[in-house]
Amino acid sequence: MPIDQVHDLQKVYRKLLDRMARPGKLANLQAFQEKVDYEVACHDATLLIAMTLLDGEVSFHVISENKQPVEEKIAAYTLARHASMEEADFIIVLQDATEASIIEGMATCKTGNLVDPQYSATWVMESQTPLSNQPQLLLTGPGIERQTDLHTSFAPSIWQARSEAVQEYPLGIDLIFTDDIMQIACVPRTTTVSVQEVE
Amino acid sequence: MKNKTHFAFFDEGSKKEIRRTTLKAVAIPGYQVPFASREMPIARGWGTGGLQLTLSLIGKEDCLKVIDQGADESVNAVSIKKLVQQTTGVELTDQTEDASLIQSRHRIPEVPLTEEQILVLQVPTPEPLRDVEASEYVTKRLHAEEEYSGAWLLLFEQIMKYGKTATGADHPVYVNGRYVMAPSPIPRFDNPKMHTSKALTLLGAGREKKIYAVPPYTDVTSLAFEDYPFTVETFADQACHLCGANDVFLDELVDETTGKAYYQCNDTSYCIDRLNSQEQVEVEHHHA
Repeated sequence: MPIDQVHDLQKVYRKLLDRMARPGKLANLQAFQEKVDYEVACHDATLLIAMTLLDGEVSFHVISENKQPVEEKIAAYTLARHASMEEADFIIVLQDATEASIIEGMATCKTGNLVDPQYSATWVMESQTPLSNQPQLLLTGPGIERQTDLHTSFAPSIWQARSEAVQEYPLGIDLIFTDDIMQIACVPRTTTVSVQEVE
Repeated sequence: MKNKTHFAFFDEGSKKEIRRTTLKAVAIPGYQVPFASREMPIARGWGTGGLQLTLSLIGKEDCLKVIDQGADESVNAVSIKKLVQQTTGVELTDQTEDASLIQSRHRIPEVPLTEEQILVLQVPTPEPLRDVEASEYVTKRLHAEEEYSGAWLLLFEQIMKYGKTATGADHPVYVNGRYVMAPSPIPRFDNPKMHTSKALTLLGAGREKKIYAVPPYTDVTSLAFEDYPFTVETFADQACHLCGANDVFLDELVDETTGKAYYQCNDTSYCIDRLNSQEQVEVEHHHA
């Protein structure tokens, strides 16, 4: 059974909006698991988010060692245009993306300008490990009552690059994380992220 | 022939555009994100911004409450409710606690909102600096440079003229310490309810083509001076003539025969709720 473009994507959007408003809080999209029977080499949650947000009016860029198949499928399903890192409205980071390519991307992607900070890239990033609220990153900022923990597979150097991309607030990038058990979490530009000592 | 409309009136492309804008608005609290405001079957300035947000949000499982100046039954609220209900078939309510989506014109309900609710406010004039600067080109740059002297000056002039800040409604607020925002024409009484609210607040201005937002647990501070602190409207020793509430926002009405002023809750569903619970107590008491 295919995804219902009207009602299913409305539900995905509401979860996404709520999580963008409450950084670090996890949401589960497993209700749509059986419906996502598309042969695309990315997380099901990534595809759902792409279908929810992308259309012919926006552009995207994929970071991956083998990006062509995913690029073609996403373009075919959403009608969004593929664009360079510097121009893309959405940047999709697949599991196999290298640390160096993500860091480079965060330094070159759109962060908006002071008059129009909304002209910035939104990142959809696939975590290799399941997202959780185990201690790794400590998040504070708007949408968080006191503080919240988040655990992703991304290295401290990537979080360092993200901090640099958002340091001139209101300029910055907004991140949406996905994993292979259909969870999502968001870290908008307003969130202060500190990497906790681990191991 | 009456065509059957698409679910929630809009085509999916329009919803997507509004949804992308809303996500950006949440990520930049208080910043007015431009969007392609659609033609609606109600006139611009009658809640089209709020209506477009509601239609982009709503799903079959939602329960919608619409209020207009505190009232669930006034014309603007009823027409918006009918339009949304006829195009989605969602459940309607006038109980604040039962609603998952609340669209409001110029009030935040008296009952505290929860984390599961979204408040959509209709905004006629989203630009807090419009009274000092007519040009959108310039106001966008003033926001970019965090140059808010104009907003302070407006309040200062009121103090010079009236001895106090005299904003009737729409008293400007600082959001997350960065953007000065028009909270829509809610009374000052409601401004503190936005501060670290549990619910997400979305604001939509259809005529001005702007969407902005206040995420939950976000600092919202009303502009004020050290020697003229922010104050809310007071209704000294007055209470609602129907339910007796005295800690809510009251409307001042005039009895036409005696010419005397009397007061009534502005939030009608809150008032009716109180009356019903009082009546319940009376009935139980009577039968006991």
